[in-house]
Parts: sequence; structure tokens; C-alpha cells
Amino acid sequence: MENALLVGLSRQVVLERQMDVVANNLANISTNGFKAERSMFQEFLNTGAHEDNFPRPDRRVSFVQDRATYHDLSTGSLQQTKNPLDIAIDGPGFLVVQTPQGERFTRDGSLKINAQGQLVNSSGFPVLGTGGPIVIQPTDKELSISPDGRVSVLEGTSIIDSLRGKLRVVSFDRPQTLMKQGGNLFAPTSDQGTPDIKSMLRQGYVEKSNVNSVLEMTRMIDVTRTYTQISAMLQQQSELRKAAIEKLGEVPA
Amino acid sequence: MRALYTAATGMAAQELNVQVISNNIANMRTTGFKKQTAQFQDLIYDHVRRVGAQASDQGTILPVGVDIGGGVKTVGTPRLMTQGTLSPTGNDLDMAVRGEGFFKIQMPDGTFAYTRDGSFTTDNTGRIVTAGGNPVQPTITIPNGATSITVATNGQVSVTISGSTTPTVLGQIGLTRFINKAGLQPQGDNLFVETPASGTPQDGIATADGLGDIMQKTLEQANVEVVTEISDLISAQRAYEMNAKVVSAADQMLQSTANMFR
Repeated sequence: MENALLVGLSRQVVLERQMDVVANNLANISTNGFKAERSMFQEFLNTGAHEDNFPRPDRRVSFVQDRATYHDLSTGSLQQTKNPLDIAIDGPGFLVVQTPQGERFTRDGSLKINAQGQLVNSSGFPVLGTGGPIVIQPTDKELSISPDGRVSVLEGTSIIDSLRGKLRVVSFDRPQTLMKQGGNLFAPTSDQGTPDIKSMLRQGYVEKSNVNSVLEMTRMIDVTRTYTQISAMLQQQSELRKAAIEKLGEVPA
Repeated sequence: MRALYTAATGMAAQELNVQVISNNIANMRTTGFKKQTAQFQDLIYDHVRRVGAQASDQGTILPVGVDIGGGVKTVGTPRLMTQGTLSPTGNDLDMAVRGEGFFKIQMPDGTFAYTRDGSFTTDNTGRIVTAGGNPVQPTITIPNGATSITVATNGQVSVTISGSTTPTVLGQIGLTRFINKAGLQPQGDNLFVETPASGTPQDGIATADGLGDIMQKTLEQANVEVVTEISDLISAQRAYEMNAKVVSAADQMLQSTANMFR
């Protein structure tokens, strides 16, 4: 008998979570390499007793459940920074970051050099080359990164490029199985990734967040309005029931 | 409601972003200034349904999960260490570095600081000092009666004494580089100091070891590009507004629940 209340509630719980997703997308509108999340919902039919063999089968109560959030993996806009340590990935690839928990993947190409000369990400974790971390010597200058990831420098007073390593770029057959873990990093679950040769690196650019602000604002309004409407509906239901109790429960004098 | 706090992290991040941009704009005429950019990362996620988890007795796994993010954090405000524009000044003691090096400055407490601001003068004893009065290393004293001062690209300072026709070499201004110059810590007055992140200073002389050339009668301008800063400022402002809208929308949702059963 509480169906209307519970169906409405199931929708409100989902909307609240969708709002959290929208809020997180908008909060990360300035995060390099950020990939927006989208919510997916599914119908959840009441599993109670039912008989479907009549010409007009039982109507089962349908609830809503949030099934998943998926990564919107479209490329964010590229911003020119002129910083030789910034690289944007043109293609489906990810850079590989060595964290204490294992290899992680990122689209945030804002690289740094640490005091040991290693190329690192903004959190200080080494960004891996094909042969481990890439190390820059103290006297190196004019660092350049080629589209295929080769990191070369001019060494001391030399005018000939010296190769310091080649950045590892990997792509995934099933990138949706990557799990976001914060810090602009994705963790692998089932798909470990394969070396990517299609992606090109663009030095002096960073990939900005791919959050579409207009879309998110529209979604936010949609969520708020729907949520408020359901609140109103629930209120009407409650008043209906209250009236029913009062009327039906009246003891004739 | 989580969205409220998530949006609050977004507002805090954009506020910091505006601070960094306004400091860049304020220093667009500061000699040797290097602009900063605020950089952000997403916060940890709450994996409500973990991707890859077993979804049924038949052994199927969840192809996508439910990940709810907690917002954004500022990870740093690194400096962009690119070369600023070199502009001629005609002043003998104005120097600019074209390359990686920094001028080494001795501070009153004996420690060293590093700068790209080469607008030097002489103090009452004739030493070449910064605008703040701290001597450039190694210390070079210009004698009384020196008529013309020449600074070679390798930092060698020579003067002609009145009455003489041959120039006298006084010394050589050194340069210092760091493996991670973006890790230097600014301390105002256009000075930077060494940190564990910058690596140890490597002293050397200009034109060698990739330190760069010293250009006399030239100053290095700030590497701030006003057009970029203004457009970044507008985006930051809009992003702040949007996060504020999320706060009020989430509040509206909560309010509708609160008003439901009075």
C-alpha cells in the first residue's frame, strides 16, 4: 500500500546521487584531463508474488535504481601553455604513473621534474617511460617531447639531441572498466591496457576538463525540478491518505 | 547531501584560482617575474558499486560501476619558467639571462637567494647589488672613476678607468641552475630560495653548461600574457558561479524534503 511513497523515494534517492555526480563534474571544471561522469538508471521490478499468465498480467510495481556511472571519455579542449613539460594526448591513450599501489593511468599531462631529475606528475609520482622512470640530467636544457613520446634534451653545451627515454602511452579495449581513484588517476580493474601507437603527444599543451558546463547546468535544473515535483507528489499522497483515514475512520454517531 | 560539500570544494578551488590569476596580473610589469598556474585534481571517489565486482552467480562482472566523486583539490601552483621577453634599457647595469640560469644573490644573513631580475645598481662602496641592496655573487666592486662598464655574455665585467685606454677586467658574474627550477620557493622581492624540491644549486658561469647568456643593458620582462590571464579569470569566475548554483540547487532539494510532511 505504500507503493507510491516508496517508488517516489527510490527516484529521489537516485536523483540525489545524480546531483552528486553533477556537482563533482562542475567542481572539476578546471581539473586537467578530468573526464566527466554520467549517471545511468535502470528499472527495478517488484519481485513480490505475481501471476503473468492471465490475458492481462499483474502489473508489477516498478522502482528506479542507479545502475552505474560511466566515464565520458571524449577529449577535453586543449589549452596552449607554452610549458615544455605540458603534454596533451591526442588520441585514446593514457600516460602511466607509478604509484606505491601499482601502475595508474592519467590524461593529466602536466608533468614536473623532481629534485632527482625524474619526470613526475603533479602529485610527485614518476611518469613511466618504456624503460622505467625518465631521468633528466642537471645540465640538460631545451627538453622536447616528440609526438610519439620520445623525450630528448640538449646536453650541456652540445647542440645534438640526446634521448632521455620514451614515454609509455597505453590504451584500453574496455576503458569503462577503469576505476577513478582521485588525484586525476584511473586504476585498472580487468583491462591492463596495451601499448598505444595511435595517440600523438602535443608538447606545450594541456588537456582541460571535458565537462560541458551548459549541459551540466541543464541537468542540474532538471534534477532539482524533478526532485521537487516528487516531493510535492509524495505530499499529495500523504494528504490523500490522511483524508482517507479521517473519512473512513469516522465512527457514525 | 554530498553535492553541497562537493560544490563547496569547487568554489574554494576557483577562489584560489582567481587569487593566482590576480597575482599574475598584478606582476605583469615585474622584471623577471614568472607566472603561476593553479592546478587541480579530483578528490577520492566513493565506489558505491565497484566496477569489476561479481554481478551474478553466473560469474558476470559489473562492466561499469557507480563512482561518486567528492569534489576537487588544489594540488599546486607551479610556476611557468619560460623565458620572458627581453627589452633593452640602455642602462649599463641592467642584465638579463637568456637561458636557464639565475643570478645568485647574497642575503644579509649570509644565505643565498636566486633571481631572474637583473636590474642591478651599485651601492655606496661600489658593489653591484640588487634593487634591495644585496650583492650579486661573486661580489664585484666598480672602482671610482670608472667610465664605461661592459658585461660580456659570459658575465665578465670590465671597466675603463678615466685616463686609461685599455679596459680592466673586474670579475665574472656567475649563474646558478636547478634541476627543478619550478620547485624553488618565492620569497618576494623577485627572489627565490632553494628547497628540497628544487634540488641543490649548481653554480657555473654563463654560456657554459646550458646556463644561458647574460645580456647587458637588457631586462627580462614578466612572462605573463594578459590576454591569457583575462580569459582564465573569466572562466574562473564563471566556474565559481556554477558551483554556487549547485549549492543553491542542492539546498532547494533539501528544502523540498524538509517541507514535505509538516
